[in-house]
Amino acid sequence: MNIVGISACTSGIAHTYIAKEKLIKAGHEFGHKVRIETQGTIGVEDELTKEEIAAADLVIIAADIKVGGKERFKGKKIVEIPTNIAIKAPKQLYKKIEAELNAKQ
Amino acid sequence: MDINMEELDFSKVVSEDLIELELQATTKIEAIEELTNLLFVNGCISDEEGFIKDVMYREGEGVTGLEKGVAIPHGKSDYVLKTSIAVGRTQEYLEWESMDGNPINIIILFAVKNADSTTTHIKLIQRVAVLLSDERVVEQFQTLQTKKSFLHLLSQNH
Repeated sequence: MNIVGISACTSGIAHTYIAKEKLIKAGHEFGHKVRIETQGTIGVEDELTKEEIAAADLVIIAADIKVGGKERFKGKKIVEIPTNIAIKAPKQLYKKIEAELNAKQ
Repeated sequence: MDINMEELDFSKVVSEDLIELELQATTKIEAIEELTNLLFVNGCISDEEGFIKDVMYREGEGVTGLEKGVAIPHGKSDYVLKTSIAVGRTQEYLEWESMDGNPINIIILFAVKNADSTTTHIKLIQRVAVLLSDERVVEQFQTLQTKKSFLHLLSQNH
Protein backbone atom coordinates (compact mmCIF):
# COMPACT_ATOMS: atom_id res chain seq x y z
CA MET A 1 0.00 0.00 0.00
CA ASN A 2 0.91 3.62 -0.40
CA ILE A 3 0.65 5.16 3.03
CA VAL A 4 1.05 8.78 4.02
CA GLY A 5 0.75 10.22 7.47
CA ILE A 6 1.53 12.80 10.08
CA SER A 7 3.22 12.45 13.44
CA ALA A 8 3.00 15.03 16.21
CA CYS A 9 3.41 14.88 19.98
CA THR A 10 2.82 17.34 22.78
CA SER A 11 6.26 18.89 22.99
CA GLY A 12 7.30 18.10 19.44
CA ILE A 13 10.80 17.10 20.45
CA ALA A 14 11.16 13.35 20.65
CA HIS A 15 8.07 11.18 20.25
CA THR A 16 7.12 12.82 16.96
CA TYR A 17 10.34 11.61 15.38
CA ILE A 18 10.49 8.22 17.02
CA ALA A 19 6.92 7.53 15.87
CA LYS A 20 7.84 8.54 12.33
CA GLU A 21 10.83 6.20 12.17
CA LYS A 22 8.89 3.29 13.65
CA LEU A 23 6.00 3.73 11.22
CA ILE A 24 8.34 3.85 8.23
CA LYS A 25 10.49 0.91 9.32
CA ALA A 26 7.64 -1.38 10.24
CA GLY A 27 5.75 -0.31 7.11
CA HIS A 28 8.62 -1.33 4.90
CA GLU A 29 8.70 -4.73 6.56
CA PHE A 30 5.11 -5.21 5.47
CA GLY A 31 5.92 -4.02 1.97
CA HIS A 32 4.23 -0.64 2.26
CA LYS A 33 5.56 2.63 0.96
CA VAL A 34 5.31 5.03 3.89
CA ARG A 35 5.80 8.81 3.94
CA ILE A 36 5.36 10.65 7.22
CA GLU A 37 5.19 14.39 7.72
CA THR A 38 6.34 15.62 11.13
CA GLN A 39 4.74 18.53 12.91
CA GLY A 40 7.19 19.27 15.69
CA THR A 41 8.50 22.12 17.74
CA ILE A 42 10.47 23.45 14.79
CA GLY A 43 7.47 23.26 12.49
CA VAL A 44 6.49 21.01 9.61
CA GLU A 45 9.15 18.84 8.00
CA ASP A 46 8.91 16.39 5.16
CA GLU A 47 5.64 17.97 4.16
CA LEU A 48 3.44 15.66 2.13
CA THR A 49 2.88 16.68 -1.45
CA LYS A 50 -0.49 16.76 -3.16
CA GLU A 51 0.65 13.96 -5.43
CA GLU A 52 1.69 11.77 -2.52
CA ILE A 53 -1.62 12.29 -0.82
CA ALA A 54 -3.55 11.65 -4.02
CA ALA A 55 -1.68 8.37 -4.53
CA ALA A 56 -2.14 7.20 -0.94
CA ASP A 57 -4.34 4.22 -0.10
CA LEU A 58 -4.32 5.06 3.57
CA VAL A 59 -3.53 7.90 5.95
CA ILE A 60 -2.05 7.30 9.40
CA ILE A 61 -2.16 10.14 11.87
CA ALA A 62 -0.03 9.37 14.93
CA ALA A 63 -0.63 12.34 17.16
CA ASP A 64 -1.23 13.42 20.74
CA ILE A 65 -2.30 16.89 19.70
CA LYS A 66 -4.45 18.41 16.97
CA VAL A 67 -2.58 18.23 13.70
CA GLY A 68 -2.68 20.84 10.98
CA GLY A 69 -3.94 20.30 7.46
CA LYS A 70 -6.19 17.32 7.99
CA GLU A 71 -8.52 18.62 5.29
CA ARG A 72 -5.90 17.52 2.78
CA PHE A 73 -7.00 13.93 3.40
CA LYS A 74 -10.67 14.45 2.58
CA GLY A 75 -12.19 11.27 1.21
CA LYS A 76 -9.25 9.11 2.30
CA LYS A 77 -9.32 6.30 4.79
CA ILE A 78 -7.71 7.69 7.93
CA VAL A 79 -6.35 5.77 10.91
CA GLU A 80 -5.83 7.95 13.96
CA ILE A 81 -3.71 6.77 16.87
CA PRO A 82 -1.66 8.27 19.70
CA THR A 83 2.12 8.34 19.11
CA ASN A 84 2.54 5.66 21.79
CA ILE A 85 0.91 3.04 19.59
CA ALA A 86 3.27 3.83 16.73
CA ILE A 87 6.26 3.65 19.07
CA LYS A 88 5.20 0.66 21.12
CA ALA A 89 3.62 -1.62 18.57
CA PRO A 90 4.05 -0.48 14.96
CA LYS A 91 3.92 -4.00 13.54
CA GLN A 92 0.74 -4.86 15.37
CA LEU A 93 -0.70 -1.62 14.07
CA TYR A 94 -0.08 -2.63 10.47
CA LYS A 95 -1.43 -6.11 11.10
CA LYS A 96 -4.58 -4.65 12.56
CA ILE A 97 -5.00 -2.25 9.68
CA GLU A 98 -4.61 -5.05 7.17
CA ALA A 99 -7.03 -7.27 9.02
CA GLU A 100 -9.61 -4.50 9.07
CA LEU A 101 -9.18 -3.69 5.41
CA ASN A 102 -9.45 -7.35 4.47
CA ALA A 103 -12.57 -7.79 6.56
CA LYS A 104 -14.28 -4.99 4.66
CA GLN A 105 -13.54 -6.36 1.22
CA MET B 1 34.07 15.69 5.62
CA ASP B 2 30.35 15.96 6.24
CA ILE B 3 30.55 13.34 8.92
CA ASN B 4 33.26 15.23 10.77
CA MET B 5 31.22 18.39 10.67
CA GLU B 6 28.25 16.62 12.16
CA GLU B 7 30.32 15.12 14.93
CA LEU B 8 31.60 18.57 15.76
CA ASP B 9 28.08 19.89 15.89
CA PHE B 10 27.04 17.12 18.17
CA SER B 11 29.44 18.20 20.88
CA LYS B 12 27.30 21.30 21.21
CA VAL B 13 24.45 19.40 22.81
CA VAL B 14 26.15 16.61 24.76
CA SER B 15 29.58 16.11 26.32
CA GLU B 16 31.20 13.82 28.86
CA ASP B 17 30.48 16.48 31.48
CA LEU B 18 26.78 15.87 30.92
CA ILE B 19 27.02 12.11 31.41
CA GLU B 20 26.87 10.46 34.83
CA LEU B 21 27.02 6.68 34.89
CA GLU B 22 26.66 6.37 38.63
CA LEU B 23 23.50 8.20 39.55
CA GLN B 24 22.53 7.64 43.16
CA ALA B 25 18.81 8.05 42.50
CA THR B 26 16.38 5.36 43.56
CA THR B 27 13.26 7.12 42.24
CA LYS B 28 12.29 8.81 39.00
CA ILE B 29 12.17 12.29 40.51
CA GLU B 30 15.57 11.82 42.13
CA ALA B 31 17.06 10.82 38.79
CA ILE B 32 15.57 13.87 37.10
CA GLU B 33 16.88 16.05 39.95
CA GLU B 34 20.41 14.67 39.65
CA LEU B 35 20.53 15.13 35.90
CA THR B 36 19.01 18.60 36.24
CA ASN B 37 21.81 19.48 38.64
CA LEU B 38 24.31 18.29 36.06
CA LEU B 39 22.71 20.59 33.50
CA PHE B 40 22.79 23.44 36.00
CA VAL B 41 26.45 23.15 36.99
CA ASN B 42 27.36 22.99 33.33
CA GLY B 43 25.52 26.20 32.58
CA CYS B 44 22.78 24.66 30.42
CA ILE B 45 19.86 25.82 32.57
CA SER B 46 19.28 28.87 34.76
CA ASP B 47 17.02 27.41 37.45
CA GLU B 48 16.79 23.83 38.67
CA GLU B 49 13.40 24.02 40.34
CA GLY B 50 11.78 25.75 37.38
CA PHE B 51 13.23 23.31 34.89
CA ILE B 52 12.17 20.27 36.92
CA LYS B 53 8.66 21.67 37.01
CA ASP B 54 8.60 21.84 33.21
CA VAL B 55 10.01 18.32 32.87
CA MET B 56 7.43 16.95 35.29
CA TYR B 57 4.70 18.75 33.39
CA ARG B 58 5.73 16.84 30.28
CA GLU B 59 5.87 13.62 32.30
CA GLY B 60 2.24 14.21 33.17
CA GLU B 61 1.30 14.31 29.51
CA GLY B 62 2.54 10.90 28.52
CA VAL B 63 4.95 8.03 28.85
CA THR B 64 8.65 8.85 28.38
CA GLY B 65 10.01 5.40 29.17
CA LEU B 66 10.87 3.60 25.94
CA GLU B 67 12.04 0.01 25.92
CA LYS B 68 14.78 -2.01 27.56
CA GLY B 69 15.38 0.35 30.46
CA VAL B 70 15.84 3.59 28.52
CA ALA B 71 13.77 6.70 29.19
CA ILE B 72 13.74 10.10 27.49
CA PRO B 73 12.20 12.70 29.79
CA HIS B 74 12.29 16.16 28.25
CA GLY B 75 11.63 19.73 29.14
CA LYS B 76 11.01 22.55 26.71
CA SER B 77 11.52 25.35 29.13
CA ASP B 78 12.23 29.05 29.60
CA TYR B 79 14.91 28.02 32.09
CA VAL B 80 17.02 26.34 29.43
CA LEU B 81 19.93 28.53 28.40
CA LYS B 82 21.45 26.07 25.98
CA THR B 83 19.67 23.16 24.34
CA SER B 84 21.43 20.06 25.69
CA ILE B 85 21.20 16.40 26.56
CA ALA B 86 22.16 14.95 29.95
CA VAL B 87 22.62 11.21 30.24
CA GLY B 88 22.54 9.14 33.40
CA ARG B 89 22.56 5.56 34.53
CA THR B 90 21.26 4.49 37.91
CA GLN B 91 22.55 1.63 40.03
CA GLU B 92 19.06 0.33 40.62
CA TYR B 93 16.18 0.08 38.20
CA LEU B 94 13.61 2.81 38.72
CA GLU B 95 9.87 2.61 38.64
CA TRP B 96 9.01 4.55 35.49
CA GLU B 97 6.10 4.13 33.08
CA SER B 98 7.51 2.68 29.85
CA MET B 99 6.45 1.36 26.46
CA ASP B 100 7.41 -2.21 27.29
CA GLY B 101 6.44 -2.05 30.96
CA ASN B 102 10.03 -2.54 32.14
CA PRO B 103 11.71 -0.37 34.78
CA ILE B 104 14.33 2.21 33.79
CA ASN B 105 18.04 2.58 34.50
CA ILE B 106 19.23 4.76 31.64
CA ILE B 107 17.86 8.27 31.45
CA ILE B 108 18.44 10.61 28.55
CA LEU B 109 17.15 14.01 29.61
CA PHE B 110 16.55 16.52 26.82
CA ALA B 111 16.65 20.17 27.80
CA VAL B 112 15.26 22.30 25.00
CA LYS B 113 15.19 26.06 24.94
CA ASN B 114 11.63 27.29 24.70
CA ALA B 115 12.29 29.61 21.81
CA ASP B 116 15.24 28.03 20.09
CA SER B 117 15.75 30.09 17.00
CA THR B 118 18.69 27.96 16.00
CA THR B 119 17.06 24.82 14.77
CA THR B 120 20.42 23.08 14.49
CA HIS B 121 20.34 22.12 18.15
CA ILE B 122 16.85 20.74 17.93
CA LYS B 123 17.89 18.86 14.81
CA LEU B 124 20.60 17.15 16.85
CA ILE B 125 18.11 16.26 19.55
CA GLN B 126 15.87 14.87 16.83
CA ARG B 127 18.71 12.74 15.61
CA VAL B 128 19.08 11.19 19.03
CA ALA B 129 15.34 10.50 19.04
CA VAL B 130 15.64 8.82 15.66
CA LEU B 131 18.58 6.80 16.95
CA LEU B 132 16.42 5.63 19.84
CA SER B 133 13.75 4.39 17.46
CA ASP B 134 16.15 1.56 16.66
CA GLU B 135 15.72 -1.27 19.17
CA ARG B 136 19.27 -2.50 18.54
CA VAL B 137 20.69 0.87 19.55
CA VAL B 138 18.54 0.95 22.66
CA GLU B 139 19.80 -2.51 23.54
CA GLN B 140 23.40 -1.40 23.10
CA PHE B 141 23.01 1.26 25.79
CA GLN B 142 22.81 -1.48 28.38
CA THR B 143 26.19 -2.85 27.39
CA LEU B 144 28.20 0.39 27.53
CA GLN B 145 30.71 0.96 30.31
CA THR B 146 32.28 4.35 29.71
CA LYS B 147 31.16 7.92 29.14
CA LYS B 148 33.10 7.91 25.94
CA SER B 149 31.19 4.94 24.60
CA PHE B 150 27.88 6.62 25.48
CA LEU B 151 28.98 9.72 23.67
CA HIS B 152 30.07 7.67 20.70
CA LEU B 153 26.77 5.81 20.46
CA LEU B 154 24.73 8.99 20.81
CA SER B 155 26.66 10.77 18.12
CA GLN B 156 26.78 7.94 15.64
CA ASN B 157 25.20 8.56 12.31
CA HIS B 158 22.03 6.70 11.84
